[in-house]
Amino acid sequence: MAHTEAHATASLLDAGGRAEMERSWRPEPGFWGWLVAVDHKSIAKRYIATAFIFFLLGGLEAMVMRIQLARPENGLLSPDQYNQLFTMHGTTMMFLFGVPVQIAVALYFVPLMVGTRNVAFPRLNAFGYWTYLIGGVLLYSGFILNTGPDAGWFNYVPLSGPQYSPGKRIDVWAQTVTFTEIASLVAAVTLIVTILKQRAPGMSLNRLPLYVWSILVTAVVILFAMPSVALASMMLAMDRLIGTHFFNPAEGGDPLLWQHLFWFFGHPEVYIMFIPATGFVSEIIPVFARRKMFGHTPLVLSLVATGFLAFGLWVHHMFTTGLPQLGQSFFTAASLMIAIPNGVQIFCWIATLWAGRPRFATPLLFVIGFIVLFVCGGITGVMVASVPFDQQAHDTYFVVAHLHYVQIGAFVFPLFGAFYYWFPKVMGRMLSETLGKVHFWLFFVGMNVTFFPMHFLGFMGMTRRVYTYPVEAGWAPLNLMATVGAALMAAGILTFLANVFTSARRGAPAGDDPWGSHTLEWGTASPPPAYNFLHIPVVQGLYALWERTPDRPVVTGMGTRRPEVLLTTVLDAEPDARYEHPGPSIAPLLCALAVGVTFIGGIFTTWAFVVGPALLFPALLVWMTTQDDHDGPRTEGEEPA
Amino acid sequence: MSAERSVLDVSGLPKVVFGHRSLLWWGTVGFMVIEGFTLVLMVAAYFYLRTGEMGWPPGRTPNPELLIPTINTVLLLLVMAPMHAAGKAAKRFDRRGVARGLLIACALTLVVNVLRWWELLALNVRWDAHAYASAAWGVVVLHATLIVVDFFETGTLAALFLSGRALRKHYPDVADAAFYQYFLSLAWVPVYLVIYWGPRVL
Repeated sequence: MAHTEAHATASLLDAGGRAEMERSWRPEPGFWGWLVAVDHKSIAKRYIATAFIFFLLGGLEAMVMRIQLARPENGLLSPDQYNQLFTMHGTTMMFLFGVPVQIAVALYFVPLMVGTRNVAFPRLNAFGYWTYLIGGVLLYSGFILNTGPDAGWFNYVPLSGPQYSPGKRIDVWAQTVTFTEIASLVAAVTLIVTILKQRAPGMSLNRLPLYVWSILVTAVVILFAMPSVALASMMLAMDRLIGTHFFNPAEGGDPLLWQHLFWFFGHPEVYIMFIPATGFVSEIIPVFARRKMFGHTPLVLSLVATGFLAFGLWVHHMFTTGLPQLGQSFFTAASLMIAIPNGVQIFCWIATLWAGRPRFATPLLFVIGFIVLFVCGGITGVMVASVPFDQQAHDTYFVVAHLHYVQIGAFVFPLFGAFYYWFPKVMGRMLSETLGKVHFWLFFVGMNVTFFPMHFLGFMGMTRRVYTYPVEAGWAPLNLMATVGAALMAAGILTFLANVFTSARRGAPAGDDPWGSHTLEWGTASPPPAYNFLHIPVVQGLYALWERTPDRPVVTGMGTRRPEVLLTTVLDAEPDARYEHPGPSIAPLLCALAVGVTFIGGIFTTWAFVVGPALLFPALLVWMTTQDDHDGPRTEGEEPA
Repeated sequence: MSAERSVLDVSGLPKVVFGHRSLLWWGTVGFMVIEGFTLVLMVAAYFYLRTGEMGWPPGRTPNPELLIPTINTVLLLLVMAPMHAAGKAAKRFDRRGVARGLLIACALTLVVNVLRWWELLALNVRWDAHAYASAAWGVVVLHATLIVVDFFETGTLAALFLSGRALRKHYPDVADAAFYQYFLSLAWVPVYLVIYWGPRVL
């Protein structure tokens, strides 16, 4: 950045400039301010909170199912209630918790980690949150009104088609999925553009933190994965509502088309949750190993390779549908291949810990738990990638065990690690280490006690989705053990909640950087001010704070009278333009409500597809015409200084 | 904070930039990827369903007609011209040129939207007849929703420039709208060939 020194004429902001920044970025107060907010931190916090509420609901559903299965021939739940519960559990965890929480964490931290003041499209971001919330409320309203979907989270036709699932249950599922897709897609576009165009000067792509790389890859995966399920759920809705025949074999349709479209999305979806989790791990390990990451470039390449390979695996969910031999071989090979980039990542993480001076604080404990569980889940994954084995294990509790080892081990554990790591930044207070360790051990032991026996239950022939089983099956002891494990996990979650609620009020003050971290978010206050950084930092190395010179180089000359972000070039992050930021607006909420009318109304009448868009148009006009109201209207051609 | 040092003064940077330098251009690319890939998957589903039928169209369903779809394809390609002109005018900050281009594009898009109904009828079969019909309707309706949304977007931009409320920062939006129009028009060509000519070949 030596050539830029000559231009350093604008001075640092004084008290007046700082006050002006405070004024132009200040969120609107009160309930109205909450409705119109566009600050990425504000949106992300409610996104995270909402996702965790759904996590608790999904967990409660799981707990009720475990109680039902604790002993044979239990009568706690009817078959219909059980069908709804496992469908709600899967749908909640995948669509309302898994993907949204990863998006939410990224929406909070990506702008801070790349050194900018907000996401690229703040209103689109707010719109995404509202859409997601409407989808979640729709699903749970249906459930409360005994219209909860009951055909499983992957909702296979013909079971979910008009013939075998009359009523509105499946329509509620299909439209919930539509809402969450819209939310994910707009968040993906927002994150990609934020990462490519708003990085602080000096943060060329080769200096991008690994977590931000993981989000970039994930967002691109979302762009290609979500359209598939959007299309599938629209086709299903049309088969059910207006008599199309996409999945109806009697009229030339094909039920397997659903499976292809669903898994072309469904398999990458696992990686949409997993890739950011590896990003958490790659952020936490160097900080707690107190050394730079071993193998930065192989880690980046592994992330990109995982993103690509994610799209070559979907058919391994369909090995029992009767595929051509060549297809089986190809998808077996592709499924085994994904072990390579993931193996590379694990070796890099272990090497970093090995060569460092690890500090076993709670975030690192969760990461180590992740490595253990992910290796277990990965090994069973390699097993089910083999067609002959899969044909035996398919739709048994072996698969339930495998997928929970992967999902909880490789996604929820790093997520909790990230929660303990970043909570001080968001709330300004530390979480209790003691409660954190209790939480970790309860959850780790509980997880293994719950899911390890399920491998054996699968071998013993227990199929998925049975609401009860006879005494003679011999499955009772292992099922009881799994239920005890689930209770331990629940105790872990209660400990976590107690920790969050007490520490948010009475935790030790965190300061700017309690862990001695290296990424830019730790270079500003905890919690960060509305504008994130008073002066945009100039990045001098891959480890932005560790490699920063003592004089802390920063950018000056940004406007203070109106909110502005700095645009930089895609590869080298050279300063390129100053972009005036759109302000708070009610339009994102109005647009989301119009979309809500369209798709929820569409369950009952096709007129909703006329009324909804008609409502969307005025909402979009509000969006367009309230861009410039920060400081009163302006006239044409004015380009503020 | 007191230890900070200014090394980079950005006060001289422009506030209005075009093309890949602007945020919206990248956002537009993102949505083109989403919409384009959805269309690709829909066409893939059309071909997938073809594998389960002896004939295509199946049974006695006639081939789609060509006249209206061909006219509409030409019109849709023509929309690119006024949008291109509007985009070029935008780079000159020529408000009249932008407004003129957008208005013509809007009028043409309206005609395309209206003709699209007859384009659907030209399929010669209702959506609920069989899987072929559902797939063909699905592909055309999917593109039609993009055209409808595009009409409202272009209309809103045209209104903004005609009303004189447009600011300098709105000009790159016009250039991006032109860029998006190329995508929308050109993406239709393979769809048109598959849906209206495909049954004669497949």
